[in-house]
Amino acid sequence: MLIQFTLNNQPVAVEAPSDITLLALLRDHLRLTGSKEACEVGECGACSVILDGELVNSCLVAAPQVSGRSVITIEGVRAPDGGPNDMQQNFISYGAVQCGFCIPGMIMAGEALLLKNPQPTRQQIRVALAGNLCRCTGYQQIVDAIEATAKSRARQRA
Amino acid sequence: MTDYRYIGKPIDRVDALEKVRGTARFVGDYHLPGMLYARCLRSELPHARIVKLDVTPALQVPGVVAVITSDDFIDHGRFGFPISDLFMLAYEKVRYVGEGIACVAAETPEAALAGTKAILCELEELPAIFDMEHALDPNAPQIGPAREDGKHPNFLGHFPVYDGDPEAVLVDCDAVIDQNYETVMQEHAYIETEGSLAIPTVEGGVLAYVSCQSPFIARGHIMRTLGLGETAARVINPPVGGSFGGKDDLNYMTAGQVACLALKTKRPVRMTFSREESMIASYKRGAMRMRVRVGADKAGKLRACHFKATYDSGAYSSQSPFTSWRASIHAMGPYRYDACTVDLTTVYTNNGFAGAFRGFGNPEVYAGIEQAIDELAEKLGIDPLDFRLQNCLRLGDTTPHGQTLTESVGLSDCLLAVRKASDWERKRAAYAHQSDPDRRRGIGVTALFHGTSLGAEGTDEATGTIEIHQDNRVTLTSGLTDYGPGSRTVYCMIAAEMLGVDIQRINIHLPDTNLAKDSGPTVASRSTMLGGNATRIAALNLRQNLDYAAADLLGCEVFQLQRAGESYLGPSEEPVPWEVVVEHARRMGLVLSTFGRWSAPKIHWDEEAGRGVPYFAYHFGAQIAEVEVDLRTGLTDVLNYYAAHDAGKVIFPQGAYGQIYGGVAQGLGYALYEDVDYMDGYLQSINFDTYLIPTSVDVPEINGSFVETHYSQGPFGAKNIAEPAMVPVAPTILNAIAQATGRRVRKLPANLERVLLGETLHKKGSPVSCKVALKSV
Ligand code: FES
Ligand code: FES
Repeated sequence: MLIQFTLNNQPVAVEAPSDITLLALLRDHLRLTGSKEACEVGECGACSVILDGELVNSCLVAAPQVSGRSVITIEGVRAPDGGPNDMQQNFISYGAVQCGFCIPGMIMAGEALLLKNPQPTRQQIRVALAGNLCRCTGYQQIVDAIEATAKSRARQRA
Repeated sequence: MTDYRYIGKPIDRVDALEKVRGTARFVGDYHLPGMLYARCLRSELPHARIVKLDVTPALQVPGVVAVITSDDFIDHGRFGFPISDLFMLAYEKVRYVGEGIACVAAETPEAALAGTKAILCELEELPAIFDMEHALDPNAPQIGPAREDGKHPNFLGHFPVYDGDPEAVLVDCDAVIDQNYETVMQEHAYIETEGSLAIPTVEGGVLAYVSCQSPFIARGHIMRTLGLGETAARVINPPVGGSFGGKDDLNYMTAGQVACLALKTKRPVRMTFSREESMIASYKRGAMRMRVRVGADKAGKLRACHFKATYDSGAYSSQSPFTSWRASIHAMGPYRYDACTVDLTTVYTNNGFAGAFRGFGNPEVYAGIEQAIDELAEKLGIDPLDFRLQNCLRLGDTTPHGQTLTESVGLSDCLLAVRKASDWERKRAAYAHQSDPDRRRGIGVTALFHGTSLGAEGTDEATGTIEIHQDNRVTLTSGLTDYGPGSRTVYCMIAAEMLGVDIQRINIHLPDTNLAKDSGPTVASRSTMLGGNATRIAALNLRQNLDYAAADLLGCEVFQLQRAGESYLGPSEEPVPWEVVVEHARRMGLVLSTFGRWSAPKIHWDEEAGRGVPYFAYHFGAQIAEVEVDLRTGLTDVLNYYAAHDAGKVIFPQGAYGQIYGGVAQGLGYALYEDVDYMDGYLQSINFDTYLIPTSVDVPEINGSFVETHYSQGPFGAKNIAEPAMVPVAPTILNAIAQATGRRVRKLPANLERVLLGETLHKKGSPVSCKVALKSV
């Protein structure tokens, strides 16, 4: 079937089987491999994307469900000049990246949180990340990076 | 203190940008035109003879292009070091549920699965062993390879340390603890599952992208089992999505299988595992059962330790001879004794198989010894931290192995650091008297030592190369992988520091057997020490050439040279840019690519006598956990965590702290939830919905710190960090739980029922989920 939706702020139309997941649509049909597959049962968050402003596990979303809606993936997260945005730069600066496999999902979770709660506490950040597993970092520097991003964005708004 | 420009300073990880942008290509992200998908037929029985294996029906399945079995490899693909008991695909027998039997390459993953189902595979079930205590029974079914020395085939090895006669001392002690402790298997749970991609080359060889610990080992197995020359097989490590020791033997099989299929089909072949396949097929941290006896006198002097244990390697030896050996060396903990015996026996069973996992046997033994030490302190009425301070290894002490510690022993400072950071004395006293009937807090401590690098497990050397290109970019290679800890960043920092250039100039290749030199396995937290020294020496060799060029250009002697930023200064103090010096070196005909090799200091271990110098240096550390236990549910909440580590000089701070945080998180899972439960050989948890690893809300804010002793042989004084942070976490948490509840949990993990009831509820398991998963996409 033809699936039409907005992907990273661009309209797309893609021919794909109707029984696949959004994750498979992104990875196998659109070759956007930044969203990772690691459990396919909605437990790890490696496949996280933002669907109409909500963080979702793309492995649990049927591809046709996104018709007419807006999907943001890690490929759509960047600064206006095309470089890393402040969240991505903070992930680098705070040492939040180790193997990196969970990181696209973590950044999506961080961005989704700040859309709803621009000034979260560390505990609120932890709760927001609870669906995203990381086996390398112990989460601490990821929390640092999201906290720093929230603070710097708040300063910019002020 | 030397003032460094990069060493010990914050820096951006070299490969972080592509990872935060999602552009880093892991194996599963590769797509090539015409690429085939591979899938293994895996055993559904824990122990069976392969009576019939006919792959021809699979070849009739639409989309299936080729099928291989062990017959497609030389000597059936036998491999494994130090004991060669593994095969690229099962030969004659299967020994665990999930073992690969045949491998199908097809146009789609669905066709590959259909192909595996069409294979005619007849298995005759054999009696199996699931209890390590019975592996060596005279009538136990044979699981390990037949042996000629008369020993039981299920006997894998004996690993002793002998220092005097602890029996004689124990009878003299004022207080003795005699307890059994038990650990269970742990899943690595790297978020990226296993995967390999092989591409046939024009000359009839193969280029493989393998997510693994060591590209050189992968290449070696491909060469030997497929009869390829060294130049015909090339292995590259793409970014590895976590490993922790786990992407070793099993993924070498995956690599061998896709390489074989690529040669056969002349097309690229990729295999990636689903989570279920990963958990069912992969090796684990082994399980250990220990009996620990420790004794001390009234004044709190530790006097004797007798540590006896059995270690379950499961169906294959894999790295167990090495993990067992490392475990035996550390089993008595970082203390002085009058006498000490360690007696560790490793056996084969049909419980999956055990291999390398962060800590390499040490998280297992520490779960025993560091609880026993705590119990002994309690019996003596001595504060457990004071007891450790009183008995811990210090500079100049001789270990129970007979090794005198001559430098870089920061253990007591680590204990003092966590005592202070955690407010130990106040909390320990406060938590001794609690009245809340529902919630109780506790605080617990451990101390550790952990041998650096391979030790007497193998020859220990590494090679690095460095080259200045025509455009003045500098490129490094190292044969050691970086599957997360940040060693590639460490090498760039070392090279920039040694050359006195901006780090932005420096690039490091992905580990590639055609570009780098074999540096042995990336295991045992050896990257910083071995690879770092090799890079340091390579850079020194290069700098020497540049120094000659600069002195020539400036008309002075080398010793008169000074640096200002990248520029060189001579006596005239007129700065000459680095590029000009490089250009002058070219004109002088000096070579601008060098390499450096570093061999670890000589060490030796006598396996029979159980004595020697097992490691050239040790990492030391101390950790404290503060927990709150809900007495109604048995739920343990880790409130605070303190870890102080003596890793020598810290080179890459964000990376080193990341190792502490990540290690503590992994240890927290090992302490509280993680249990690889094989019910009659069938894994009961096969995905993250039932195998729980710590989430961001389970892990507390961790207070990490470093005690920077200088180690003379390390690059800039550095030792190691990746493994040790994880090693003592479980007993630290268990010691805190013991204070909170007044009851010891001596079997891991300290899950709700063990904390609440002090026992394991009997659960009924089932083979169904494994069997279904092995047959579905
Ligand atoms: S792959 Fe979607 S949650 Fe794990
Ligand atoms: S950085 Fe490796 S899983 Fe998060």
